[in-house]
Amino acid sequence: MGIIKAGTRDEVKKTVISFFSEECEVNESKISEETNVIKDLEGDSLMFLELLEIFKKKYGLDFELKTIGKYVVKHPVQTIKDIIDMTILIIQHENNINDLA
Amino acid sequence: MNDKKIVITGLSCISALGLDLNTNWDNMLNGKSGVNKITLFDPKDLMTQIAAQVPKDFELLSEEKIKKRTLTQMTRATKMCYLCAADAIEMSSINLDLYDKTRCSVILGVVNTGKLDNDPKNKIIKGMNNAMSAWLSIKYKFEGPNYTIATACSSSAYAIASGYDLIKNNLADLVIVGGADSTINPEEILGFNELYALSTNNKNPQKASCPFSKDRDGFVIGEGAGILILESEESAKKRDVNIYAELCGYSLTTECYNIMAPMENGEGMAKTMEMALKKTNLTINDIDYINAHGTSTELNDKFETQAIKKVFGDQAYKIPVSSTKSMIGHTIGAAGAIESIVTVLSVYHDIITPTINYDNKDPELDLDYVPNKSKAHNINFAISNSFAFGGHNASLIFKKYKN
Repeated sequence: MGIIKAGTRDEVKKTVISFFSEECEVNESKISEETNVIKDLEGDSLMFLELLEIFKKKYGLDFELKTIGKYVVKHPVQTIKDIIDMTILIIQHENNINDLA
Repeated sequence: MNDKKIVITGLSCISALGLDLNTNWDNMLNGKSGVNKITLFDPKDLMTQIAAQVPKDFELLSEEKIKKRTLTQMTRATKMCYLCAADAIEMSSINLDLYDKTRCSVILGVVNTGKLDNDPKNKIIKGMNNAMSAWLSIKYKFEGPNYTIATACSSSAYAIASGYDLIKNNLADLVIVGGADSTINPEEILGFNELYALSTNNKNPQKASCPFSKDRDGFVIGEGAGILILESEESAKKRDVNIYAELCGYSLTTECYNIMAPMENGEGMAKTMEMALKKTNLTINDIDYINAHGTSTELNDKFETQAIKKVFGDQAYKIPVSSTKSMIGHTIGAAGAIESIVTVLSVYHDIITPTINYDNKDPELDLDYVPNKSKAHNINFAISNSFAFGGHNASLIFKKYKN
């Protein structure tokens, strides 16, 4: 189980926005927490999985994508905020995330 | 059937002769060949070492015009389709905001999306046969019927016919139709070589595709895309846009004969053209030009000639017949669309592109194949033929549009 420090959310947000800016070729200033990944950025569902791989390495997390997938089915992520919040939960609970549901 | 007219308001193609419509058209009018030694891979171990590859600037153009992430999810053929559709849409000057998107469709002829590498990343997305039509719907937000037709070499002709039906039957107002293909890879060439279907004139690539001539020894594989924008005349007139031609009807038939060879004496081909004339209430005297399937194979060109003679009788000798494949090779899934585009432009400009490499006459084949040079010719009605492995035949009839 990871520990959320004071700056973790900002750090996650920065990584998420930077990732979508790069992948969707949209200026970072145009991306906010309310931005919808598919409708506003023409992104796709695979992007979240790629982000998870990035966070897995960055924070040394231990989780199975399959486990996260089960949680996401019940709690869909659509906006940048959804992704940030979900990432924070994954950092905190890793493979135990489904215990929250 | 209602009297709704289906018209073409936009069109574009990519082939070995260019990455846009005007370049293709100019090169075709000048009778240029797009066939060369294969450079996409080293073909030295293959019987056939030539193909009609699109110009190498294509990859740069793709990088310039398609989003980076999207590019990683597309095959070469899908990129061709995507770029080509953008040009056709632009040409048709459509204000997409004014359309009911549930009545806008995409129907494409796709045999396959092309060779996939071994990297599992995006393999499914790249390889699924509906990828091209799906990408176009995502880009233009077309919510109407969206599907892919696979009838080998006539796939995109079938797609055009299907688009016609959607509008004619009031199921759509606007349809993107066409197809794309890029199968210049060792496996495909080996496969076609096994069937003795490809030319092996490796020493003289530019002369290798020679439909209807005595020297023909098989088709030359090509790649490319062709996209047309179909809409009702009413819709086109409402926005006062240029109309390039009317698609006045078609015939689709199946030979039920052989998985590869056409029916003897071109009987199936003849039936297809006859039915197209019947469905459009035209007579043999109405047709001014035939854009042939004209593959440069022994059987197709012989049987297509016999079929034209069977349908048109003595009139056959007065109708120019030319083969686009002489210049851009056989683009398989894209062929029906690219050749329809050439037919539409011929009707629009009253000029016929040539059958190049027609140097030695085959005594059995004695029609006017528009040898080597384009020619001016008044065209009111023209047929575009597509005849596929599996016996899937299509004849589309285009008409000069008059207000």
